[in-house]
This record gives sequence, structure tokens and C-alpha cells, in this order.
Amino acid sequence: MASDDELAQLEKLSNEWEPEPQGPLVGERKSSSAITVEYANADPIYRIKTAALPQKYAFFRTCRGDGHCGWRAVAFGYYEALLRGGDANKLEEEVVRLRSMNNLLNSIGFQEDLYEDFADEVYELLRRLAASLRAMDGTTAALLLEAFNDMGRSMAIITYLKLLASAWLQNHEARFADFIIGYPSLKAYCQHNIEAAQCEMDHLAMQALAECVVKAGGLALEVLYLDRSEGTEISPYREVPENVANPPTIRILYRPGHYDILYKAEDFAPPAQQQPIPTQPPLQVALAGYTEEFVPMASHLSDVMTLIPGMYPPALGQRWPSLSYDYNSSPAPVPTYAPAPTPAAPVTSSHQDFASPVHASYAHHGAHSHHGIHLEPPVTLPIHPPPPMSLDRGPPLTLERTAPVERGGPFRPSVYELEPGFGGCGQPHAMPFQTSIFRNSHYNTAHFLNPDFQPEEWSPDTEYATGNRGRHKSTSQ
Amino acid sequence: MSTGAKKRIMKEYGECMADTPPGMKINFDEQNMTEWEVLMDGPDGSSYAGGHFKLKITFPNEYPFKPPVVSFKTKIYHPNVSNDDKGSMCLGLLRPDEWKPPNKVVAVLRLIHNLLVEPNPDDSIEPSIANEYKENRKEFDKNAKDWVKRYAK
Repeated sequence: MASDDELAQLEKLSNEWEPEPQGPLVGERKSSSAITVEYANADPIYRIKTAALPQKYAFFRTCRGDGHCGWRAVAFGYYEALLRGGDANKLEEEVVRLRSMNNLLNSIGFQEDLYEDFADEVYELLRRLAASLRAMDGTTAALLLEAFNDMGRSMAIITYLKLLASAWLQNHEARFADFIIGYPSLKAYCQHNIEAAQCEMDHLAMQALAECVVKAGGLALEVLYLDRSEGTEISPYREVPENVANPPTIRILYRPGHYDILYKAEDFAPPAQQQPIPTQPPLQVALAGYTEEFVPMASHLSDVMTLIPGMYPPALGQRWPSLSYDYNSSPAPVPTYAPAPTPAAPVTSSHQDFASPVHASYAHHGAHSHHGIHLEPPVTLPIHPPPPMSLDRGPPLTLERTAPVERGGPFRPSVYELEPGFGGCGQPHAMPFQTSIFRNSHYNTAHFLNPDFQPEEWSPDTEYATGNRGRHKSTSQ
Repeated sequence: MSTGAKKRIMKEYGECMADTPPGMKINFDEQNMTEWEVLMDGPDGSSYAGGHFKLKITFPNEYPFKPPVVSFKTKIYHPNVSNDDKGSMCLGLLRPDEWKPPNKVVAVLRLIHNLLVEPNPDDSIEPSIANEYKENRKEFDKNAKDWVKRYAK
């Protein structure tokens, strides 16, 4: 029989036992319907509240429940919201701004040589993200996730935020002192509840971060409390910066004892001019270019080509005046016909990336008279949404294809089109985009790195519809 | 262990060298910088005067986000040091929930020094020794000196 002392010891151990936290420090973005599922068997208040969640907040990201989740969620959200702004300069400004807060830290008595390691991690990550944003290399999000899943770096960033929060509270003692219960002073409270290595984020810390990091950085913070309070919706708490219109928002989901990161669907479809990399430029072409899907793409091209004199048949002459030479580079032409099925990307110089290979291969492929034409970078290409013809696919299209000479496009037929084996299928359109560079680029939706990755689908019907088509495909690749 | 943690330990070692608390000597092995051996003389005027104590400071992989672990390799009769082969010490800023990443090892060494001068019976790991310290100080002093003679010469 164990003695009382031993029993007390065992009881203490069992009370203190906590399961080893599982999962990545910061997880991948997931659909928030997973939260609804998680609470499907919980009590009605949670069930009702979580059922409404996915409609408003489409995605979420888990943080490991190791006691740092709140800090980590805000820190990650901070970086991500800055990235969503899409401005590399802003990230560098943040380095300067945070650096200027060293005075705040020093005034509370933190020694610079002790916090500089933590601060350096914070600056370093901001700088690396800015560089990645500038290079448009598409690795920005991965870089951020990797940094936060590295225990040392992620903890350094959290520690820096803790020190900032503590310093901020102590600097505004008059406002916060009354909230402190059970501690002799605000300083003691901060030392125990904010600066300590193992402490969960509390409301005061959240408030401090919202003020000194989030709002001062031109971002907004939204915390959603999923608790058993009255009501059918999760109650939000918002901190919005003044003088900033539509600030990128950090959204945090709080469940008693745990924080995760939430997203609205529109967080990922911000106004086009803010987008660092257009998610799906209309000139992208699926690899399965011989299917009907391709037709709209061809029509973009035709619009591009009508800009060039001598590139359109007389029948389309009446369209010419509407497409003048002196395109203003800033606003995209307002589409007058069908609405775009894909978000119309802005006409920016970045489009040259997509447009130029198309042009080059087209010139190569089409009539030789095209060779002398160059679209120099300052020239911008108007991108029109596809005309409604994509709605009525079927027989008429097939007809067009079998008789390419008579189709209604703006191109003057080339001699090659009259040769046997050229017409009769969509191949000629698809071929220019099948360059190995494009196929292996992540701008291709069939590439696994593309954010809108859509694997190539093999459809036996189209494959065997005409023997001609199938044969052509194999020769073209 | 991350490079950041190593850098931090190196930096702290430099600081400890420049500002070693009285009666302490640190043996630092560059091959294994996460374990420091500290040789410490019992502070003059305390029950431990004349003793030489060997301590080990172990830095966890997560350092500085988790506290260093301090253990007495030399047996010592003290309310804040566990009376077993581990000789562990866990109080004040060494507690995981009170440890702050900007804390310094120098502060830890000072804490140990102060505890030898003045034990903290209210935060003890050995309740019976703490009781004795509070209620029968003479007996405690005698036992402590006895142990110094036996183990720490």
C-alpha cells in the first residue's frame, strides 16, 4: 500500500498530465465545414453556431494546442494579412516600424541584447517574404508556413510578440491596471501571464497585440468567440484601424482554451489590383486543348490579334474602330457582352508573361507574314472575357471546326489551314500552348503547383469521336 | 538544436564568464554546449560554507523557450533540492510556467547562490527538510553541515 505522500504525488502527477499536443504547429488551410462536422454531436448551441460558420467563413487553419496557439494564430495571421495586401514595400515598412518599437521595450526594462534574437527572426521573415513577393516566385505562402512550423523560429516570433504585448500594457498602465485582479501590479501580471514561456494568450494580451501590432500595422483583427453564450451566431469582436479602407483582416476563431485561424472566402479573391499573382489568367490553357473548352480561349487571342492591322477579315471590319491602337494601359476595357466566368485579371504588365509566349508561338505557327510583328512590353493587351458562344457548345462548333475557312473568327485564313489534316479539330489552337515551357510552368492549371490545380481529364468520347482527332493529338505531342 | 539556440548559449556563456557570481566556476565543453558543469563553493556564512558542490545545467532543445534544468550532482541537505540521485531543483524562474525566454543563465546562477544562503521553505521540494528548517533551525544546520562534511568535501 502506497503511503499518503506517494498517493498525493501520484495524484499531482495525474492532474498535471496533459496529452502530448498533436499536429503541425500551423496546419494547412482547410474547408471550415470540418468544424461543423467536429461539433455535429456536441450540444445544440455549438451545433447551431458551427452550422452557420462555413457560409461566412469558408476556410480555417489549425494551430497546435500547445499553449501557444493564440500567439501563434495572431502572429501567423499578421504575416498572412500583410501578404494579402500584396505590397512588398509594406512588409519592409513593418520592419522599420517594429524596430522603432524597441524604445517601448527598452522603456520597460527589457535588455536589447536579450530580445534582439527574437526580433531578428521577426524582421528576417518579413524581409524574406517581401523578397519572395517581389520575385513573384509563388513560394511565399510555403515560406511562411515553413517558418511557422520550425519550432525555434516560430517560438522566437511568439516571444517577440509577448514582449511587445507586455511592454504595451505596461506603457498604458492607466488604461489596463483596473483589469488586473489577484496580482500586486500590472508588471507582475505581465511577467506571469504574458512574458512567461508557457502561458496562453489572454484577453489583455490580445488587446495589446491588436493595438500595437495589428492596428498600428494597418490591419484589422477579428476574433470570433465560439462559446456557449446565447445566440445562433458566433459572436465576433473586431478591432479595426482608423484611416484604412478595407484593411486585410486577421480572423481568429476562439474556442474556450484554443485558438485557430479563420478565413472568409473573399480573403482569397481580393480586388484584382491587389493580387500579387493573378490566380487564373484567362490566357491559361488547359492541356486538354482539343476539347470544346478551348474555344473561348481562342477568342481572346483573336481580340488580341485584331489590334494588329491586316489581321482581320473584311467582314469584321466594323469591330475595328472599337479596338483602337492607343490603349490606355491602366483600365481594362469594360466587357460589353457576356460576363466573365473566370475573374477577369487586370491588364498589367505582368500579363506580358502570359501573352508573349502565346504571341511568339502563334507567329511561328500561323502565316509567315506575322513574323515581323512585335508586342513590346509597354504595349498592354486587352483581355476580353469569352463571348457567350461557350454556352452553346455542340453541333455549331463542330461545324466550324470541320470547315475552318468559313468560321467566323477575325483571322484571315492561312494557306496552311487549307492543307489536309490541318482543320477538322481544335489542334491548331492548342498547339501553341503546348510548349514544354508552358506545360511545366505553374501557370498551367494542369500543373500541381497551380493554386487552381485541375488535373487533366481524359475523356474517351472526345478522344474517339473522330479518328482524325486522335491521330492528330498523338502527333502533336 | 537550432542554430539560434546555440548562438544564444554561446552568448550567455560569454556573459557568465564576464560576470561569474562569487565562488562559481563554469566548465564549458564546446562539443557539448548544452550541458554545463558548474563548480560552486558553499557561500560563506551559510550552513554550506566550506563545501564544494558540483551542479549540472542542462539546456533543453527548445531553449530559450523552455527553462534550463538544474541538478546538484553533489548531495546536499536543502529544502529546495530533491534528496535523490537527481538532485533536481525546480522553483522560481526555473519552473516551466514561470520561465521567460529573455531570462539569463546568470540569473539562474544567482538564484542558486541565494538559495544556498537562504533556502526557501515555502516553495520546497523536500517538505520534511523544509519543516525542519522552519521549526528546528538548529537541527537543520547540524544536518546540513553534516552532509557537507560527508559529501561535499
